Amino acid sequence: MRAFLTRRLLLLVPTLLGVTLATFLMLHLTPGDPVTIMLGEFASASDVARLRAELGLDRPILVQYLKFLGRAVRGDLGSSIRSRRPVQEEIAERLPPTMLLALAAQVLAVCAGITAGVTAAAARRPSVDSAIVAVTLVGLSMPTFWSGLLLILLFSLTLGWLPITASGGLRALILPAVTLAAPAAAVLARVTRASVLEVLRQDYVRTARAKGVSERLVVYRHALRNALIPVLTVAALQFAGLVAGAVIVESVFSRPGLGRLAVTAILSRDFPLAQGIVLVVASMYVFLNVGVDLVYGVLDPRIRYQ
Amino acid sequence: MAAARALARIVVLLLLFLTLVPLPLTHAQPQPGGELALVSTEEPDTLDPQKTGTAVTGLLMRYLGDTLLTKDLKGSYIPALARSWSVSGDGLTWTFQLRNDVKFHDGSPFNAQAVKASIERALSPETKSPIAGSLFGPVADVQAVGDFTVTIKLKEPFAPFLDNLTDPRAMIVSSQAVRDLGDKFGRSPVGTGPFKFQEWRSADRIIFARNPDYVWAPSTVHAGPPFVDRVVLRIMPESAAQVAAFERGELSVLALPPTDVRRLEGTNKYTIYSFLRKGVGLFMEFNVTKEPFSDIRVRRAVSHAIEKNSVLQIGLEGLGEVASGPLPPSIWGYWDGIKEYAPKYDPGKAKALLAEAGWRPGPDGMLQKDGKPFSFTLYTAPIDTWTRSAQIVQSQLRAFGISMEIQTFEFGTLLAKLKAGEHPAEFMGYTYTSPDIVQLWFHSSNIGTGLAFSHNKDSKLDSLIEASRRETDQGKRLAIYRDIQKYVVDQVLWVPLWTNTNYIAVQPNVQGAKTHPDGFLLLNDVWLK
Repeated sequence: MRAFLTRRLLLLVPTLLGVTLATFLMLHLTPGDPVTIMLGEFASASDVARLRAELGLDRPILVQYLKFLGRAVRGDLGSSIRSRRPVQEEIAERLPPTMLLALAAQVLAVCAGITAGVTAAAARRPSVDSAIVAVTLVGLSMPTFWSGLLLILLFSLTLGWLPITASGGLRALILPAVTLAAPAAAVLARVTRASVLEVLRQDYVRTARAKGVSERLVVYRHALRNALIPVLTVAALQFAGLVAGAVIVESVFSRPGLGRLAVTAILSRDFPLAQGIVLVVASMYVFLNVGVDLVYGVLDPRIRYQ
Repeated sequence: MAAARALARIVVLLLLFLTLVPLPLTHAQPQPGGELALVSTEEPDTLDPQKTGTAVTGLLMRYLGDTLLTKDLKGSYIPALARSWSVSGDGLTWTFQLRNDVKFHDGSPFNAQAVKASIERALSPETKSPIAGSLFGPVADVQAVGDFTVTIKLKEPFAPFLDNLTDPRAMIVSSQAVRDLGDKFGRSPVGTGPFKFQEWRSADRIIFARNPDYVWAPSTVHAGPPFVDRVVLRIMPESAAQVAAFERGELSVLALPPTDVRRLEGTNKYTIYSFLRKGVGLFMEFNVTKEPFSDIRVRRAVSHAIEKNSVLQIGLEGLGEVASGPLPPSIWGYWDGIKEYAPKYDPGKAKALLAEAGWRPGPDGMLQKDGKPFSFTLYTAPIDTWTRSAQIVQSQLRAFGISMEIQTFEFGTLLAKLKAGEHPAEFMGYTYTSPDIVQLWFHSSNIGTGLAFSHNKDSKLDSLIEASRRETDQGKRLAIYRDIQKYVVDQVLWVPLWTNTNYIAVQPNVQGAKTHPDGFLLLNDVWLK
């Protein structure tokens, strides 16, 4: 177990190195640079050159990358070009609201998705199953920027029940979380349904039924626990996806967060900030994956790590 | 996507609560108190006027700070922090007599030393100033020659000097606060303006509070502190959400997106002001160094093949007017004859010119020359009205056997590609205050570095533009600008398509708003019913 953890954590180093290199290259290969974007199109060539030199952007790309790496190893992600504030400070300020949103959406998605999936799989009437499958299809296909605006129009503008923006505390979390959770819940419902159906065909389920266990117990006690393994994998990877999906939801609902920060950083070619955000999100992804592997063992005692 | 549009405003520069039509003055007695809520798509980078590069910070600094001088509602220079000023005969030494009754929001005194320190900080390479650093021009040194007298010596005469001093980013900052706060100054700025900084909640809102000590207001507004208690700038990236928030009464003033103008006008609930944008909203520009638009006959043919009114009606829902030349009627220097002078929709002429240039219909009806089909890619930005307009132009050109592909790029990427000149043609637009914008678009020194995306090297056009910048006689300048407009149309560097009307909606309880010709709302006189 300890060896497994050490191995996985050591793998983090090349993963993150690869991620930083890839982001760095992608950002620098994209046309446009922070200075021309900052100064606007009416700027003179000499002003552009002056500011580029002052910000150290005139040095070769490799030098800039190595400097970044050297600082990052010592835990210093540098300063944002746009706001001049330390990257850590910017991220620390925006990470909590995004995590809160993603967590709320995750909880909603897991509750709704698994309930719907199990209900569909265990449904005696095919019409219930088809109805649930149809609803998940809608949830999957509706883009969040559209469903978010529809929710605003209905619940904020027409009914006036909920605030439009982030200023209303937890109440303001409801609409964004529902918007973000909908597609995730749909995916979970479909995965759960397929997985439960699969497990229900297995011998031990037939045995359980044969010895007279009620259908309810068969589904919820015997089948569901085994069926949850693929569901868990999907849910965990989805969490990182929810953080990414927050980009759009945060914009629609004017919520502060990492997603919007990332968009601004990329559009203004704020290299240090974009780099820092990618680093944080990538690390989160890696840690989640390790976490999921560990939880497998709890769900299925046959799984052991050496 | 919303953020892409935010950046598109580098060029579109649709300042958020900008209007050029004076709002009516009310005669009722102003009531103090209340909160005025404005909105911005973009969040300021920093509130340090000397370190900012975003337009929205410039706007906020109008409320937080004061400049040495400012402009009245007609655009003439009037005293602000400086009571008076003079310049030496050689145009190098400027002397400013300062007010002696001003103090910064942190209580520190405003005097000649403060002005010197503020300007020197803007100029210092350590500040890495994007804009403020270049506003003062070639400064040799700044001297405090008395408690309330400052001289600025220039290395060479600098024509835009006075105008630049009215820029909000040239405001005088408290050097004591700069020293005390260090890097935190950008998140808690200190100036002398009618409002002082209260709070910045990241990605949510910025709050300014009334400065009760403000007795040094310039003559454009009433003497004494402003009426409203607070000004709140909400940051909302999605324009549909802005409209919903405005309709819910959460915002006091809103620049309307074109899609909502008709609907909100129909409600009759709000006061809606409109004005023609200061710039050309959309034009198609040709890269004259690349086939097929290196041939002027082909460029002219395209200008005869496009029926602009349909582009305006469908692309912009008719919310503007058809454009004819490089300057709009809303900018001084516009030549009225350009409407008649510019090429008109004329299918016969378009076909004849294309045939003359060697383009003939092939078996599939599409034009070809030497076995190659007439097809090109139009580079454009992800702006709804541009995309719709591009589709109309695409179908109009198809009728002539020309195949146009539409390629959309994020704004920063688009600008870099246009500078490099890899495009055959592109869609662009601009907002600017003076006709000097032609220098940026057409002078060959701006090829590759500036906005000369037509990549046109033309000594005649260059010398016309240089003459327009040298000439001080306004009548003669007008004549030169007329010649430039005619020449640009003659050379068909652009097919100007439309200029949009901007719409500002104001809640019925907002009274006394005054607008400045430089495109911002004066908040000193605003009060809420």
